[in-house]
Amino acid sequence: MREFLEKAGNIDRRIIYLIIFLAVATTILVKARFKSSPLPEVQRSYKIINDLPSGSVVMFSIDYDASSMPELDPMLRAMLRHCFKKNLKVIMLGHWPLGLPLGQLALDDIAREYHKKYGTDYVFLGYRPGLQAVMLNLGKEIRSVFATDYKGTPLDSLPLMRNVHNYNDIAILVGLEAGSVGDAWVQFANARFNQKIILGSTAVITPDLYPYLQAGQIVGLIGGLRGASDYETLVEHPAMASLGMASQTVVHVLIILLILLGNIGYFATRRKK
Amino acid sequence: MKREVPLFITFITGILIIIALFIPHKPFGQLQTTFNDWLIIVGGFTMILGLDSLLLHNWEKIKRKKEGWLSAAFLIASFFITLFWGFGEGIFFHRNPFDASATFLRYFYTYIFVPLQSTMFSLLAFFIASAAYRAFRAKDPNSTLLLSAAALVMLGRVPGGQAVAPWIFAFVLLLLAYYFFNESKKTSGTQQTVYIILAIITLILIYPVFYILLHYLNGIADWIMNIPQMAAKRGIWIGISLGGIAMSLRIIFGIEKTYLR
Repeated sequence: MREFLEKAGNIDRRIIYLIIFLAVATTILVKARFKSSPLPEVQRSYKIINDLPSGSVVMFSIDYDASSMPELDPMLRAMLRHCFKKNLKVIMLGHWPLGLPLGQLALDDIAREYHKKYGTDYVFLGYRPGLQAVMLNLGKEIRSVFATDYKGTPLDSLPLMRNVHNYNDIAILVGLEAGSVGDAWVQFANARFNQKIILGSTAVITPDLYPYLQAGQIVGLIGGLRGASDYETLVEHPAMASLGMASQTVVHVLIILLILLGNIGYFATRRKK
Repeated sequence: MKREVPLFITFITGILIIIALFIPHKPFGQLQTTFNDWLIIVGGFTMILGLDSLLLHNWEKIKRKKEGWLSAAFLIASFFITLFWGFGEGIFFHRNPFDASATFLRYFYTYIFVPLQSTMFSLLAFFIASAAYRAFRAKDPNSTLLLSAAALVMLGRVPGGQAVAPWIFAFVLLLLAYYFFNESKKTSGTQQTVYIILAIITLILIYPVFYILLHYLNGIADWIMNIPQMAAKRGIWIGISLGGIAMSLRIIFGIEKTYLR
């Protein structure tokens, strides 16, 4: 018995890798789904977008790349579905140049799904270096940073952009964050221009953003795959996040069991010593 | 002179930006916009500088056949393939490389770059699982508290966690009771009585813990995130911000000069 307990505390890492791989792959292959009630902060974010009058402008900032795609891409797609379903206008830009095409691909896909027209219902601005300077200048005049969209079309020739000049014309800013750009949005767009912000983030940085939510500096927070899955549930379109959530559940339980096993082994070995 | 001029520019710029924040009217308000425009332009040029150092550093590695020179060669080759493919798309096909119809976006970005980056990051899942198994030990009260909080949040934030958590925690308590009983057999007198009492208390706790977790786990996880976690985070943020302000003042007044090296 003692020998078994000692071995429990010293499992080969390759076995752990195999267990994790099988757990993730199996749950995805069998398309397992677990039901959950959406978190209050996600419900709040949903309600804020849902209550916007038709024709309001929502600005999306793509501040992630492919490494955070499993969490943030489903979130973006669910939110875009919600916006287009509600006939809201979408402007997209970003501060992670390598991730911006992901936003563009999602925007094109969902716009096609809802028969939305480029220039009238949505616009893709692209990337400009300068982060804080870009955020500050957006508060004065968007054209001072983005004179044209990503295709080189002057903003004034796009019907959607004719009446959009600064944060005053943007109902909600949605920042999808895998790093610290969300902090900058709060410091420069909210604190300086009182812009309403909803942040969607990877699970790793979500705890960093809770203080902003509690202080009212952001109006909504959608954290990690769970947040994305909750939003998919709210827009009644379960997709990749709902599928991934089952894997995450199984892996979380597995990790807890492994930690438990490790501790049993640790105490068995310690007593022997 | 080589040091004085940059120090003077930093001082004047820093002071003017602070004044512009508090007096957002002409001429200061306009000044901030001008500085921001400059920052965007300088930001663009830093990319060229970054590319220059990246290419030179890796070229040196290849030239001297240093360790990892093959990876450096792949990096340079990938850089030029990306560059020429992107420019080629515009020059020969007259379309934006990030247009939906562009081969660059469809093949290079979607089918090469995205899977490569995702693969690199997904390896983290395996390392985290292995590291958690090896490092998360209930060695002392602090680490036990951290471990319990982590387990409650991990299970409380996933669907189905509320159904599993009571069983896991009940099992842990049962193990703990067994440990106390076992210890009581090896001791005598007051110590034995203490161990027996501890074992009984642990056994009694199983039902209330099971009940609480079965009904309130999600609420407990939310409470951990909203109260203790946030308090710690705020403390850290306040510390970082104060440090940031102190460092900015040191740079503006020329006390901190390491950035000039």
